[in-house]
Amino acid sequence: MPTSTELLQGTLDLLILQTLATGPMHGWGVAQRIQQVSKDVLQIGQGSLYPALHRLEYKGWIRADWGNSENNRRAKFYSLTRTGKKRLETELEDWDRLSAAVALVLGRIPEASS
Amino acid sequence: MISEWFSRFRFFLRRDILTRRRTSELDDELQFHVEQSTAVKMAQGMTLEEARRSALIEFGGVEQARERCQEQEPGWWIDALIQDVRYGLRGFRRSKAFAVSAVLTLALAIGATTAVFSVVDRILFRALPYTDAGQLVSVGITVASQPEEFMTGRFYLDWQANHKPFAEIAAQGDTPHPCDLVENNPAELQCVTFQAGMLPMLGVSPALGRNFLPEEDEPHGPPVVMISYALWQGHYGGDRQIIGRQINIDENLARVVCVLPQGFQFPTLEAADIVKPMALDPALQNKVNGGFGDTMLTFARLKPGVSLAEAQAEMQPVSDPEMAWLPERMRNLTRLSIRSLRAREIGDARRMAWILLGAVAAVLLIACANVGGLMVARGAARQRELAVRAALGASRWRLARQGLTEALLLALAGAAAGLALAEGLLRVFVAMAPAGVPFLGKAHLDLRIAAFTVLLSLACGVVFGLTTALHRPDGLMATVRSTLSRKHVRLRRGLVMAQIAASVVLLAGAALLLRSFQRIEEQRLGFATHSLMTAQIALPEFRYNTDAKWMEFHLQVEQAMRGVPGVTAVAFTDSVPPGGWQAKLRYSDLIVKGRPPTPPGFGGWIAWRLVTPGYFQALDIPVIRGRGFTDKDSTGNVPLVVLSRLAAARLFPGEDPTGKYSVRGPGGTWFTVSGVADDAKNGGLTSDEEPEIYFLRRDVADDWKDRRSVLVIRSALPEATMAGFLQGVVHNLDPTVPVEMEPMTETVNRLADRPRFETALLGFFALMGLAMAAVGIYGILAYLTSQRTQEIGVRMALGATRSNILGLIARDGLRMVSAGGAVGLAAALGLAHVLRALLYQTSAYDTLAFLAVPVVLCVAAGAAILLPAQAGMRVQPASALRNE
Repeated sequence: MPTSTELLQGTLDLLILQTLATGPMHGWGVAQRIQQVSKDVLQIGQGSLYPALHRLEYKGWIRADWGNSENNRRAKFYSLTRTGKKRLETELEDWDRLSAAVALVLGRIPEASS
Repeated sequence: MISEWFSRFRFFLRRDILTRRRTSELDDELQFHVEQSTAVKMAQGMTLEEARRSALIEFGGVEQARERCQEQEPGWWIDALIQDVRYGLRGFRRSKAFAVSAVLTLALAIGATTAVFSVVDRILFRALPYTDAGQLVSVGITVASQPEEFMTGRFYLDWQANHKPFAEIAAQGDTPHPCDLVENNPAELQCVTFQAGMLPMLGVSPALGRNFLPEEDEPHGPPVVMISYALWQGHYGGDRQIIGRQINIDENLARVVCVLPQGFQFPTLEAADIVKPMALDPALQNKVNGGFGDTMLTFARLKPGVSLAEAQAEMQPVSDPEMAWLPERMRNLTRLSIRSLRAREIGDARRMAWILLGAVAAVLLIACANVGGLMVARGAARQRELAVRAALGASRWRLARQGLTEALLLALAGAAAGLALAEGLLRVFVAMAPAGVPFLGKAHLDLRIAAFTVLLSLACGVVFGLTTALHRPDGLMATVRSTLSRKHVRLRRGLVMAQIAASVVLLAGAALLLRSFQRIEEQRLGFATHSLMTAQIALPEFRYNTDAKWMEFHLQVEQAMRGVPGVTAVAFTDSVPPGGWQAKLRYSDLIVKGRPPTPPGFGGWIAWRLVTPGYFQALDIPVIRGRGFTDKDSTGNVPLVVLSRLAAARLFPGEDPTGKYSVRGPGGTWFTVSGVADDAKNGGLTSDEEPEIYFLRRDVADDWKDRRSVLVIRSALPEATMAGFLQGVVHNLDPTVPVEMEPMTETVNRLADRPRFETALLGFFALMGLAMAAVGIYGILAYLTSQRTQEIGVRMALGATRSNILGLIARDGLRMVSAGGAVGLAAALGLAHVLRALLYQTSAYDTLAFLAVPVVLCVAAGAAILLPAQAGMRVQPASALRNE
């Protein structure tokens, strides 16, 4: 069982936006996808996932539509809006700057470690 | 910003429908999550039961997730607030006694504090309406009989030349005096004179026009005047063409050069309509007024950084040589005085203002303690409810928020009622206040202080409310009843004792003032006020324009009134005791025949009155030696005087002057002393009698040169009847002359306005404080008794009598009362000296007053203790035990 990693403040929003960039998805899907892609390192509890989804929706970065799931059950699908896409770009840039800066401080040169 | 609010508003309107839909959608969404999770677990081989259970465990609190999702919604707090408010209101409806007493307490505190502060704010805190007003001072000399500083021309010339510590110095020619505006639309106005430097020194610029030019402020300069804003608006309709117009003041034409700004505050606070240039003539100042020069009032602006003490030290060398000019006897009585203009304007209203403010602060503290006690009690009573809510998942923040909302609701209701009360109280103050409380006309409700008191009482409620709300509610409290509230009880006991102590301090102050007021009311005035009336006859001077006509009319009125049945005595005098205006002369103005004259100067003062023969009989002042005046004296040609006992003792110590001596007044006439009358109160109600000299007003036109005449009538008939008679008499002589009559008891009553005002106010606050403290005692004892119902039942079942139970409850109350009372009495004894200046012939440690306080406290506290104790006595043991 991989240890759950504390998510950096605000990182969850970025993860959700990035995940939704691949296409519309329901809440369960988003959680599963993040877990898969991160090779089970990142497990998003519903206690933070749904409030985050709702927050992003109220901010207008993602949109929710009711549709049918794979097993033909009514589900709420989230997708990126245009402002959401723009937001994702700036968040990614910020993230790159931040992680590079953190790596420098920790004394690891990104090229060497990647 | 606006659009955001608009969208919030729209959202708010559709809130109900939206909320319901959103809630069901959210449920669907979360449900879907759990189903997916269950499906995955089943695919891994779990049974449906197992999979669902594990999925739900993994999911955690569904309720919490829902709440947190809802909190993401913008404006979610509006819903929460409405919910809290509804819940709070429902709670208040259930415990009406709590809500009503909390709101009432808050209203009283907010109302009283706001009203008092609105009155004293200008007196104590607000800067005077001049530029950099803190630098302005009133300068001059004081003598024993004239504690307000004044200046005379002789000294002023030196001061003007050597005003080292002052950046500017300027004079006002004495206080405002009546003058006439002569034109088609005539008016009687108040006139005053300023030096040209006055407005620039005060830092006041005209609303219209310009200040006096230097050449206009010189003797025989071009005649110009400034007019007040009120006169400009009222009389001239705000016409801007007024500048440059000639107006006629007392038959002298003068050009208007300036309109003073609106609300311009004259440095003596006595408003005038017309300001003329003072035009000080230096050549005359060593000659007029016995070499002293014109009297005036001087004001100055301190140089930056110069303190009052430094200014005093710098001016002393300038003033000392001047003082040397005075006769030695006067020198000791005369002082140089420099004090802030503020101190002069406020005068002794300052002390009263501080005392009022202190009293109302004590009331506010008592009220806060009361609200605090109520909140603690409510918190304790709700422990079970809070524990249940906490067990059902309400967070501590949620419970605290609920408490906060309730405190806010109470404060809002209290504030609304309090502001209405403050408005009413302020009107009562203004109506009741004695003359001479500065700025009272300008007092209006101060919303800043209202906000401050609301916040303060809110803080009390919140602090005490939250201490109980935040007190960790645990499961135990849902079942256990009284044991855990011991801490609350201790807190409430402390609050109640503090309330009692504060109200004892107020009571002591009120009792002292009451004693002093009683002394004022009961003192011997030296004349009988009952059955005595005074009347003013407003005789038009332009028709009765000679002394003879004036005298003729008055003598006819006197003669006619004497004939009215029921009238014992009638007289005319120029003034009446015990207060109000009266003429005064200096001892040095009186010369006793055959004795060397007193050296000229300020000296002591002696009051004098110009009276017709019936005066002593009318006022019922006994003539103790010699005789008073008779009608025969009026027509005779020997001028006579009667001395008061004090005056006789001063002028002729150890001798009976009757018939032996003559005195010469400033007029040059010799008067023979015909008798000595007993002393009558003549310097106001709260100061000692002044020596007095009565001159006979004969039936000689010359004696009526001074037009001041007051009719005094002694009659057992009611005032209304007498006023009718007098009106008839005057009407017979001249139908156009109005008459005004007042019983002497009312005149004297008005003089006691100030001590009455102080006593009434402090008494009101003391009773208010006492009532709140009594409510506090009652509250905690009633609460404890209800908590102890079961215990009382057990005690009674075991054989306790009703009086045992009474003692049990009363002992607790009496302990609080005696502890709080003792602290309060000690504090009151420590603070009593503050009141000393307000007390008349009453010690600040008056025994009776300090004995009365515990008695009053015990009566009020006794009632507050007895009610719950009785409830305790009525407990039926059987039903009390069955209840649990």
